Amino acid sequence: MNWFAGQKTQREVVITHEDIDRAHDRARVQDARARGSWLSRLRLLWLLVGPGILVMLGENDGPSMLSYAATGAKFGIGFFLPFIILTFVMAIVVQEMTVRLGAATHRGHAELIFERFGPFWGWFSMVDLSVGNFLTLITEFIAIRAGLGFFGVPPWAAVLAALALLYTALMTHRYWTWERITLAIAALNLVFVPVALMSKPDWHSVGYALANWKPMPGMNKDTLLIVLADIGATVTPWMLFFQQSATVDKGMTKRDVSFGRFDTVLGAALAATAAVATVIATTPLFTHHMSAENFQAAQFAQALQPLIGRIGASLFALGIVEAGMVACVTISISSAYAFGEVAAKPHSLNLPVRQGKAFYSVLYLLAALAALIVLIPGLPLVYVVLVVNVIAVLAMPPALVFLFLLVNDRELMNGVVSPRWANALATAVVLFLTGAGVLFGISVIAPNLFAALGGK
Amino acid sequence: MTKEPKMHNSMNLSEEELVLSTLEPDQLAEAKKQRVPRRRLKGPELLVLWFLRIYLLFMIVVVIYQAWTGTR
Repeated sequence: MNWFAGQKTQREVVITHEDIDRAHDRARVQDARARGSWLSRLRLLWLLVGPGILVMLGENDGPSMLSYAATGAKFGIGFFLPFIILTFVMAIVVQEMTVRLGAATHRGHAELIFERFGPFWGWFSMVDLSVGNFLTLITEFIAIRAGLGFFGVPPWAAVLAALALLYTALMTHRYWTWERITLAIAALNLVFVPVALMSKPDWHSVGYALANWKPMPGMNKDTLLIVLADIGATVTPWMLFFQQSATVDKGMTKRDVSFGRFDTVLGAALAATAAVATVIATTPLFTHHMSAENFQAAQFAQALQPLIGRIGASLFALGIVEAGMVACVTISISSAYAFGEVAAKPHSLNLPVRQGKAFYSVLYLLAALAALIVLIPGLPLVYVVLVVNVIAVLAMPPALVFLFLLVNDRELMNGVVSPRWANALATAVVLFLTGAGVLFGISVIAPNLFAALGGK
Repeated sequence: MTKEPKMHNSMNLSEEELVLSTLEPDQLAEAKKQRVPRRRLKGPELLVLWFLRIYLLFMIVVVIYQAWTGTR
């Protein structure tokens, strides 16, 4: 029997401000759905897209874009172009499950783990997510600081501007308005496309690489680390928590699942385009044999300037700022959602500050603290980024296993349980990503084991 | 049994009707306070959770090792 169906007759109805805001959003969806014309179908799509695009473009964050830039600078056009697209296909498989979970249960991911699997796994997921998110947040501010540094903006001003933008996006206390503002900022992620065009790529090589996965890089520890970094750049735990909670906050229901899928695929297509464009954009560094070891955002832009011009380099730096900014917003919100869900506090972007004190406090405090840390003089920023990558890749297997168990939970899923083919696909992706996580862990503990692979 | 909706002072009846006609009962903020029951785990699921516990230990070792080597 379905648990939610059994609850419908037992509850007392209490209506809150959050419900009213969500009801207004749903009324527009119902109105567009009732009309049935092509135009209203497009309007319905416009109303229902959001979480999928935001999560995918949000994951194209500062460290991810640097990882793609490093890929292009180290390996050029080749195997990694189709490989990056493959990682986004895996992200679609994983994120689609969160859409169904959110639409069927109207509950967030942290909440479901806590309630279905008990407090141990609930708190584990919460701590895991919080630590990973907080460290990632620091890296986003590092990216913003470095990107704006290219234009001569001092670090304190860069960090302050980022915090101001975060607060502005949330000031309306309306999910819908916040989502549209953040989508507008996230669209700037595509700024890497003109940068790629300015690098005058060899389109024949691009086509050949996409069709044949060649030239293949030499198999050694460096290649393995780039492979794992690119996986970590596309599928991370905060994405699961964010998209499910955003789907719930947006008010999506089972009728909207197909639009949620489209939203996820569209987001992945946009993010993959930006990621591939970044690899292409930094390929001139590979062609000119310029070492990009330990490059930060501003250094990539500076190194590219003589090759693609001042405008191209500026756009690259701007893209890094945007990547950090959008991730800063989505990751802070992901932490605040999870905190509210586990602590049973109101958690919605539709809440006025007075009713959502705990939710907004967590959100703002985390962002402010991460921003302050970035300003500490002499902080080993490169080391922080490295630890973030380790935690993100290692934390993925537990998150995926819980997602898989929940999406196959017939008591919860109420008719949108995964079909067999989808389960087979999800199993393959979960096993692949878990294997990648374990491999990454081994490469950290025993690097010499991997050195034997390529003699490095 | 379903009871009459409680209204906040600032809301009018049309808003109440709007909420009840557009949101599913489970979507109401108040409904989400109801906890979902704990899942009864069977053999394969218990095995998966034990795998996760072992993986967790592995993960802690890796992170501590990474932090240790990084600070040296």
